[in-house]
Amino acid sequence: MSTIAKTKNNHIQSTRSEFWYTFTITAILILFGILTAVPLISELALSLSSKAASDMNAVTLWPIGFTFDSWTHMLSQSTLWRSFLISVASMVLGVAAALIINMLMAYPLAKDDFPLRKALMLYLIFTMIFKAPTVPYYLLVTGLGLRNNFLVLILPHILNAYNLIVMRSFFRAFPRDVEEAAEIDGCGKFGTLFRIVMPSSKPVLMTVGLYYGVTLWNQHQNPLMFITDPKLFPLQLRIQQIVSTGAEIEAVTKVANVNYTANTLSAVVVLFAVLPVLVVYPFIQKHFTKGAMVGSVKG
Amino acid sequence: MKKTVSRIMAALMVAALFVTSFAAAPKALAEDYVLPEYIEFQRDNPGYLPAEKDGVVYNFYKDILGFGVIMPYIEWNGGATYAEQINLRNTAKDAPDVYAVVNGMEHQLILDGSLLDLTDYLQEYAPHCWEMVGEDVWNLIRKNDPTGEGRIWYVPKVFDYQRHGAMIRQDWLDAVGKKMPTTQDELVEVLRAFKTGDPNGNGIADEIPTGGRQEARWMDFLFYEYGIAMFEGYPGWDIYDGELTYSAVTKNMRDALQWLSELYAEGLIDTETLLNSKTDWDGKVSADRVGIFYHLPQTDYVRALNVFNATGHKAQFAVLPAIDANGYEGCGFYQAVQSGDPQYVVRYTEDKGRIIACMKAIDLAYNMDYYMTIRLGPEGMYHKVLPDGTKEYIPEDKMAQERMPISVYDTVSNAEIVCNMLEEVKSEENAWAVDNSIRNVKEIQQYGRVIAGNNIPSTIYEDYEDISDRTLYVQYASKIIAGEWPIEKFDEFVEKWYKSGGTEVTERAREWYARMTAE
Repeated sequence: MSTIAKTKNNHIQSTRSEFWYTFTITAILILFGILTAVPLISELALSLSSKAASDMNAVTLWPIGFTFDSWTHMLSQSTLWRSFLISVASMVLGVAAALIINMLMAYPLAKDDFPLRKALMLYLIFTMIFKAPTVPYYLLVTGLGLRNNFLVLILPHILNAYNLIVMRSFFRAFPRDVEEAAEIDGCGKFGTLFRIVMPSSKPVLMTVGLYYGVTLWNQHQNPLMFITDPKLFPLQLRIQQIVSTGAEIEAVTKVANVNYTANTLSAVVVLFAVLPVLVVYPFIQKHFTKGAMVGSVKG
Repeated sequence: MKKTVSRIMAALMVAALFVTSFAAAPKALAEDYVLPEYIEFQRDNPGYLPAEKDGVVYNFYKDILGFGVIMPYIEWNGGATYAEQINLRNTAKDAPDVYAVVNGMEHQLILDGSLLDLTDYLQEYAPHCWEMVGEDVWNLIRKNDPTGEGRIWYVPKVFDYQRHGAMIRQDWLDAVGKKMPTTQDELVEVLRAFKTGDPNGNGIADEIPTGGRQEARWMDFLFYEYGIAMFEGYPGWDIYDGELTYSAVTKNMRDALQWLSELYAEGLIDTETLLNSKTDWDGKVSADRVGIFYHLPQTDYVRALNVFNATGHKAQFAVLPAIDANGYEGCGFYQAVQSGDPQYVVRYTEDKGRIIACMKAIDLAYNMDYYMTIRLGPEGMYHKVLPDGTKEYIPEDKMAQERMPISVYDTVSNAEIVCNMLEEVKSEENAWAVDNSIRNVKEIQQYGRVIAGNNIPSTIYEDYEDISDRTLYVQYASKIIAGEWPIEKFDEFVEKWYKSGGTEVTERAREWYARMTAE
């Protein structure tokens, strides 16, 4: 066999193996995607089904006795919208606060000439490994007057050691020459950070922002512990309240003549909570992948 | 002489002053207090709105009690999240004023000094509660005092009726030409007929003769045939071979599991019975597929209406009598729930006004004079007044109704109260189903028996949570019923159970029983 033929053969083999590699990965991911989508589709089908179908637990992936009754009933609840707005507000304000605080802390920690760097990093890592036990945490937060306070939805979440390390890694990789050029041009430390470094840090800001955003949006344990005022219920707590069909022993009550059940209403609120994340995610996905990679390979 | 008389007179005066000052003490307490503006009362909230300050429910109680009652939302989650939240708030010295206790949490709270000793306040400030509970139950509660001083730290539920029972489809019996079974053999024949006779008439063999839910729960009636103490799938304590014993480790249980595995192998028990969630199992009942199910006769009208709504069949549920297993004559029963379970406690406080407000709030839960008022709830939220002046319930809507913190029904209940409640929700359209429920509630009463281990404190399981959670029992029972393990494995389970703490727990249980039965 000539060298050219050999090379051609090798090329075909490598193309083939590449094809099968891509095919297998794609197939696994598609399968995984379907598996992930099944519960959502099932909830969607249930939310669009009738009371009879829900009572019989007959709905799988397609609505039975198609109706919008559950949706119209739920979406007409002002309390649900109020909770939605509280969740949105806590997420927007929380992400903004978290990014500013994280950036202000991560940037100096990324600089070798910052004297307290090692001690602060150790302190941070300590909080990552040893979480505060529930009772002291409860007492501290309550003592700060954050019980039934909107700020409890934000403050405990705005500095996470892991996210800070991701951001610090990104800043460490930032070209020193660019910063020096800025300094020569008369930029102070803050000027360099906000006018030079920050505009070039979109991937890591998006990634860390998304991490915080998802945490803030999904938060449940904190409000469960510290919020009892229904006017301050974030969405997840409201959902739990609605999903909570409660005790085994049903009370003897008048049965309402409606075409929905606790289960169909639960399905609606579950989708209602998931939808914003689903809608936003595709727009920041590209930044997310890039930022996460940066954070993961640099020490 | 004169001197002696004056000395006697002086002594008598001092004595009189002494006595009257003591007699006046409680009065002084009563006069010196100021009722708080409101108190916090907590119990389970299955998804209703919380009762807020100055809200509808708040004002409803204010009109009755003279002070408001709030109940901020605490997630219930089967009692687990609720207990966690209450304990946290106790740690922060911020517990609700009055609250329901679950899963034996009161034991530690009493020892920690977090609760108010109610002994000296009940008779004076909660007379209805004192009367309703009765001396026998108060004595049991005193004997259960973990401080050993015979004090009363909680008020109990007063439930004096048979609440649970197995419901059989009378219309299915008629369809397959069988009479109501009264022996174990007849029951098996009925189950076979349900399986093969197409009693729901849809032409498909989709009938499930009987079954229950995961962890071998909610099919207690099959175990009761063998005289096994059990509550919603949790084995209990009763007298076996003359001694208080955990029912799961008795010969009765061995025989019951063997029988259940035979039923399972023949397809007479739902093949998914060990996997069914509540929704799954309720769904099968509502889909007109289940012949016998175990639950509460008082709410079987809801299932009947669901079946009707889904299939157009008017399901006729009837009470399955207590049946004796072969060889266990006279053992068959339904386990009765009886008064005595801890219900409400009061947070420790020295504020007299607050103490009295808490006692008044507790008393309301036992005051039958207010039964209808509280049952109807606030106008516009729970009931409406029709033009002819009659009051009509507003259908349940958890999105619009605030939870009623104090309710008579959840604390005091008997067959008469339940039947009255059912009468109240009856209408022209649902009368066929509700009347069935009323009949069933009355009929089930004859089969109830209180077990010896009724009200046994959960503290006997301290340090042995696996026994309390019946982890080992569920594993062995499930595998034996499903036919994965032979019945001989049951002996291994009994041995393991005793070795893993069962011996200690049994000793504690027997000590408790000896204390309870001692004169």
